[in-house]
Amino acid sequence: MILTPEILAIFILNSLFLFFGIIALILSIKIYSKWDLNSTKSLQYKLEKNSYLTSTIIKFIFLIKLPLFLFFIFTLDKISNILPGAMCAAGVVDATPYGMYLFLVKIINLYLFGFWLILDKIDVENEKLPYSKLKFGFFIIIFFLFLSELILETTMFLSIDPTTMVSCCGALYSSTSASYISILFQIDPFILVSLFYTNFVLLIIFYFYKNSYIYAILSMIFIIIAIISLITVFGTYIYQLPTHHCPFCFLQKDYYYIGYLIYSTLFIGTFYGLAIPFFKNISYYKISIFFIIAYTLIVTIYPILFYLKNGVWL
Amino acid sequence: MIKLNNITKIYDINKNNSVTAVKDINLHIKDGDLIILKGASGSGKSTILSLIAGLCKPTEGKVIVDEKGISKLPDHFLSLYRRENIGFVFQKYNLIPNLSVKDNIILPLIPDNPDEDILNNKLQEIMERFTISHKKDIIVRNLSGGEQQRVAICRSMINNPKIIIADEPTANLDEKLSLDFIDILKQLKGNGKTIIIATHDPLFFNLDFASKTIDIKNGKIIS
Repeated sequence: MILTPEILAIFILNSLFLFFGIIALILSIKIYSKWDLNSTKSLQYKLEKNSYLTSTIIKFIFLIKLPLFLFFIFTLDKISNILPGAMCAAGVVDATPYGMYLFLVKIINLYLFGFWLILDKIDVENEKLPYSKLKFGFFIIIFFLFLSELILETTMFLSIDPTTMVSCCGALYSSTSASYISILFQIDPFILVSLFYTNFVLLIIFYFYKNSYIYAILSMIFIIIAIISLITVFGTYIYQLPTHHCPFCFLQKDYYYIGYLIYSTLFIGTFYGLAIPFFKNISYYKISIFFIIAYTLIVTIYPILFYLKNGVWL
Repeated sequence: MIKLNNITKIYDINKNNSVTAVKDINLHIKDGDLIILKGASGSGKSTILSLIAGLCKPTEGKVIVDEKGISKLPDHFLSLYRRENIGFVFQKYNLIPNLSVKDNIILPLIPDNPDEDILNNKLQEIMERFTISHKKDIIVRNLSGGEQQRVAICRSMINNPKIIIADEPTANLDEKLSLDFIDILKQLKGNGKTIIIATHDPLFFNLDFASKTIDIKNGKIIS
């Protein structure tokens, strides 16, 4: 077990989230099963009152959880200094069998929590509260993913053994890696980069055509291609090392914390892209394309600068 | 049109102690009516006013104002409804004692951030109408009861609300000032305002311009 002030802060917050989350779950089940907006009976008035409380609890949990994702990455980075062999967060993620699952659940939850917050916003902006039943039903479902995240996070931090040697990111993210990550390096970088920019151009085209479903599908594909191409191609230009492919190292001070900007633009851009067909909000196109263009510009600028400086591609 | 359909309001003081303030009340008030709600203290008059004003929600039943079910509105929509439709006159005036007459009157307009010229025009017009313009820069705690009441009326009228609600408006006034207040009510009714007054002041019971006097006892309409 490893206990740093950051992990302690995460544990305390997780306990609070669990406590309030369970209260919100119980109230959500009650509201979801008995909600009848047209009723003027005392039960419905009580549920309406409860719904404000429950929404507020959930909203605060999710609003704190979203930026806490960055804090989680920061914590992993910080504790990599005390784990033998670890050079960055990648080593910590690989230190236990739970790390990668936790990461995946966290990313999925980022999107789901964001969806819930938008649903809540639209609901309370309408005097007829049209999505109340839906949003509490949705919370009941995502609560279990939220709970999985808390359990995985706690288990991961409790299972880290600071005396055991872990792999460094150079070994984990390479073509010789024993894990499934090595498959990524079998893809031709030229094809990958072509796919990335084709996807980007298609997003721009469908931004103008305003086809929400195609735009959302392209956003979904963009997340996957963007992350793979970041690991296999663009990352190497950030590090200026052809053999270094870690998706975590550029979150460190040595690289001016550029990773936080890279991931934030990618997640925000694709989140709003995925949200368009559900919420039919035309302004989401603008937010989405703005962040996707920002992401593309950031990752593109590194190879161009490298080429201008050295006259070769990696 | 204001409709109270099968309204019951129970205040839960704690788990084993609750007070039924209003029980299964039905009431229809037409636009432009002046309604007097009379009854002893604790009979449920103020609760009815609060329900119409959207200050509280019923335990059961529905309050409808101009075809809108206001008892079903979420809180922030209720605030908007109150700001746009309701003018309040309270027994203790509820003015801010350290602000001037002018600042107290314009308070309901502040959230709308109106243009200064429009604001000043409205203010001047309302103060002249209720003969308080000569005191506009005086701090309200230095005013007499009658003057404070007039400031409260100005404040309730500055948004030009359709409905005016007055809860025991003359409880702190002497007879002359109460009669002055009744004159103001007559004037407001003449302007087409819907006025609902909760009172046990006998001066109100035989007003020739009142549309209806409703007797409330133990949370029920007697007559």
